[in-house]
Amino acid sequence: MQIFVFPGLMLTLVLILYVLIKALSGFDMAQRISFFVGLVGGSFFLASFVFGYFSSNASGSSFLSLPASHFEKWLCGVLIAGIFYPVVFLIFYYGIDTGFVALYHNNLDPASPFYKQAYESVYRFDLDGVVARNVYILFFIYTGAMLLGSLYFNKVSVIKTAVALCIICLVIFGTNWLFATMLFGNIEEASPFHGVALLAGNDVGSIELPADIAEICKYVFFYVMPATFWILSFTRLREKEF
Amino acid sequence: MIEVQNLSFGYKKRKLLYKNLNLKLEVGSIYGLLGKNGAGKSTLLKNFIGLLFPKGGSISVNGFEPKKRWPSFLETIYFIPEEVYVPALTVEGYKNLFSPFYPAFNPQQFYSYLEQLDVNDKGKLSTLSFGQQKKFIIAFALACNTKVLLLDEPTNGLDIPSKIKFRKLISGVFTEDKIIFISTHQIRDLDNLIDRVIIVDNGELLLNASIEQISSKLCFKSVSELPATDKVLYAEDSLKGYAIVMENGEHEDSKINLEHLFNAITENPAKAKSIFHH
Repeated sequence: MQIFVFPGLMLTLVLILYVLIKALSGFDMAQRISFFVGLVGGSFFLASFVFGYFSSNASGSSFLSLPASHFEKWLCGVLIAGIFYPVVFLIFYYGIDTGFVALYHNNLDPASPFYKQAYESVYRFDLDGVVARNVYILFFIYTGAMLLGSLYFNKVSVIKTAVALCIICLVIFGTNWLFATMLFGNIEEASPFHGVALLAGNDVGSIELPADIAEICKYVFFYVMPATFWILSFTRLREKEF
Repeated sequence: MIEVQNLSFGYKKRKLLYKNLNLKLEVGSIYGLLGKNGAGKSTLLKNFIGLLFPKGGSISVNGFEPKKRWPSFLETIYFIPEEVYVPALTVEGYKNLFSPFYPAFNPQQFYSYLEQLDVNDKGKLSTLSFGQQKKFIIAFALACNTKVLLLDEPTNGLDIPSKIKFRKLISGVFTEDKIIFISTHQIRDLDNLIDRVIIVDNGELLLNASIEQISSKLCFKSVSELPATDKVLYAEDSLKGYAIVMENGEHEDSKINLEHLFNAITENPAKAKSIFHH
């Protein structure tokens, strides 16, 4: 039931967020934040429900002993959190974004001297743009992590997975920062898998990874890591004892 | 047939619940698994259906390895846990959704069992009482006509008339090509139902014997004075003196009291083994 009710609630939340942020900070911010929350946040929470049977002994036993293969059970979860919800969300998002942008354009006064400038300041969110692509990567990482987390943590898996992800991020960032400080001294910023920004007096200089290594890191971060989470969730379901 | 060979299982690596357990369960019997709380009854059942995996040894259920949980295996076995799960569906909705997974499911039997167990609510199953939910699942499980039926504390939550109906139903659906395996600590609920008794304690198999074997090896009777012999396995005060369980040297006919049998076996495991292995 949650699987059907939740997307409805999430889409309503996205609509409210879009309207509120648009009123407070304008279109650009509203489009970015509502797109991120709707796609990444929505799928993350939904992924915690699709394998949420393990919160009770009865439902966990019932799910695992149902005569369907591990792959079929896993595929159901993947289809709901990874295909069904994102498709519904993207259609909904495209609809509301198009509607609000059209409404804005229609309400502009063509006789105004700033008409062209005002018109061109707002466009539909580019679903194939750089921001959207980064959000898609985050969607694959977080949804995969939640699918895996819901199979590792039987109770309150969403909180435990979120905490686990925070700890992993802190450890990676902390270790990176520590090594960068030991090697270079004055650190302004040290993003893992990317580069180090150094303080030199009042100036900031940066040391970036060599292009070929940066490409490998990007490949690992964008493709290998999400794929690992999704595949591991299948392996975990197959080996799940309850 | 269920065959357990040198099964070792424990929730913690250093503390095994079962160590080198060997057990063979033939088709055509209703088994009663008796054990104290925490003896590992539910654990054994979960190993049979593949919800838990052996740490050592092997389990074979009708030729399948349960831990693989192949659909072709799962459609031949039904496990009713102590606490049952029903989604927010009607009886009809549940049947339509889950019965296609069980090729031998019989809808006529299903409705007949529901009627016999007095489950006639038309609303959502999740709004039913625990006892009603359990009776619904029992009716569904029986209608699935699986070759192996595992029931963990099936009578917990059932009222007295329902317990009687449950016993009648189980006897009615049983056929010679099935194994019905009932785990319980409510021993009286199994009276006149099971034809083999299995007793486990401290991870050890203490008894696996048919009702006929038990009757021939042990005698259950009331005596006014305790006999001065080491053949008595168990004695307890009763209105007429003592209710005792002793070796059946005289080949007397007596009615098995499962409660007394359980106490006799668990209090004298070594002696019981020697009697039944003769």
